[in-house]
Amino acid sequence: MREELRELWRYRELLWAMVERELRIRYKNSVLGFFWSLVNPLATVLVITVVFKYVMQNGTENYSAYVLAAYLPFIFFQICLMDSAQSVLQAVPVIRKVYFPREILPLCTVFANFIHLLMALAVYFLYLFVLWAVTGFETSPFTWTIGFLPFLLVVNLALATGMSFLISAYNVFYEDVKYVVGVALYLMFFLTPVMYFSDTVYYAAQSRGMTWLYYLYHLNPVAMLSTAYRKTLVPTGKIEVVPEPGSAPQQIYMLEFDWALFWATVATSFLLLVVGYHVFNRLKWRFVERP
Amino acid sequence: MSEVMVDVRDVKKSFLSNRSGAASLKTLLLWWERKKKLETIEVLKGVSFQVHKGECLALIGRNGAGKSTLLALVARVYKPNGGTVQTFGRVAPLLELGAGFHPDLSGTENVLFNAMMLGLSRKQARERVDKIVEFSEIGAHINAPVRTYSSGMQARLGFAVAVNVDADILIVDEVLAVGDLAFEKKCIEYMEGFKAAGGAILFVSHNMDSVQRFADRAIWLEDGIAVADGKPEDVIPKYRDTLLAPRK
Repeated sequence: MREELRELWRYRELLWAMVERELRIRYKNSVLGFFWSLVNPLATVLVITVVFKYVMQNGTENYSAYVLAAYLPFIFFQICLMDSAQSVLQAVPVIRKVYFPREILPLCTVFANFIHLLMALAVYFLYLFVLWAVTGFETSPFTWTIGFLPFLLVVNLALATGMSFLISAYNVFYEDVKYVVGVALYLMFFLTPVMYFSDTVYYAAQSRGMTWLYYLYHLNPVAMLSTAYRKTLVPTGKIEVVPEPGSAPQQIYMLEFDWALFWATVATSFLLLVVGYHVFNRLKWRFVERP
Repeated sequence: MSEVMVDVRDVKKSFLSNRSGAASLKTLLLWWERKKKLETIEVLKGVSFQVHKGECLALIGRNGAGKSTLLALVARVYKPNGGTVQTFGRVAPLLELGAGFHPDLSGTENVLFNAMMLGLSRKQARERVDKIVEFSEIGAHINAPVRTYSSGMQARLGFAVAVNVDADILIVDEVLAVGDLAFEKKCIEYMEGFKAAGGAILFVSHNMDSVQRFADRAIWLEDGIAVADGKPEDVIPKYRDTLLAPRK
């Protein structure tokens, strides 16, 4: 693996050039460019907020901020994996003719999407700032917890990269992989605290004496990351949950951050990165020979 | 003998063939179907040769003899199943001119990217853009998207990039027949200069006249085995004779 990393490092400039090219191609023929990529998340967040706040009548303040904080990383993860499924496969005609480290292909997809996430987060902060300014700079929405954000992004990047390595490599040989990934990501959206809170899952499990369900739920590493993003980006406030089945909804503070679960997620992410890279390297010479 | 630039030793390469086409989970799950449909095809059965500084080696042989596979192995597109392939210096593969061009990007953008794909740094690529564009003779069209180019223009641009990356070894797979006569002449002049400057050329051709004129040595491949290796004037007649004779 060391040898492979060194080779990859030699080709780093090509990787950057490819990321640049990817971003340029994506918006070459559209006027609004980057802002189109914001339309989807903003529209989704708007709809989720309207449904949960006014139809389901959840009284949490700043509901849209919680949804946005979790949805931006989620959509990064989703698009990243969908794109990477095709990344190697569509480049097969090129890698049949020219040599360069094949890892560059999925990495390019991940990095291009990651840059999108960063730009989207910048817009998010801008939005918070405007809200703050409108209320006359009363209570600052920026808390010291934002300092955790870079670390969280690195973990998220590791997880996405590891998964991309696996998916892009296997999709070359079994094109069914991309359909499986599509379905899995769709279902994952419901099993990740984006529209709701992981606290709700906890209370629902605990009140039935099945706290283990809460841990089972967190086998999905994106679930923990989602909650972590919320804790990092949204200032601590009360959220509305139903602690007991049948009881009235209550406004309470979010659960304490579960560090043990969080570190387990971090470990899973980096493990997936190493495993993914290993698998990719084992398969990469056969990409051009796909039957 | 002078310095060795390409060293191929007892190289073996085989492929799995799948007659049903695309791979799918079905072939993974139904192992009996896999057994039925996959067979190993041995394309190269142990080929050895060396190309030296300033030498031009031609590979000749029938379709399917393994010539292109051999070139791809030297270009590091494939990994051999047995034996070793070593190259000393930068390799410019001309297996397909303009491989990796993106249709929506301009000629200049594609030149920059392609030059980096062949191993130049960003800085080196930038410095060479003008020279490459000049060589390709594309002129003002260089800022238009590549999808608007004719196939001849794309090939010219691809060739121009490949020959301007300071390669030490040129690998050419019958690609020079795409430009017009003037451009072909330019390519041939370039390759002669390249050889004189100490570069090594490895090429595949079905055109025996160009093999005769260009190559210092020719290898005749038949069913993955080098059956003859020597001066073109000795190898070509042998190959011609079997071509004309009915195949056993």
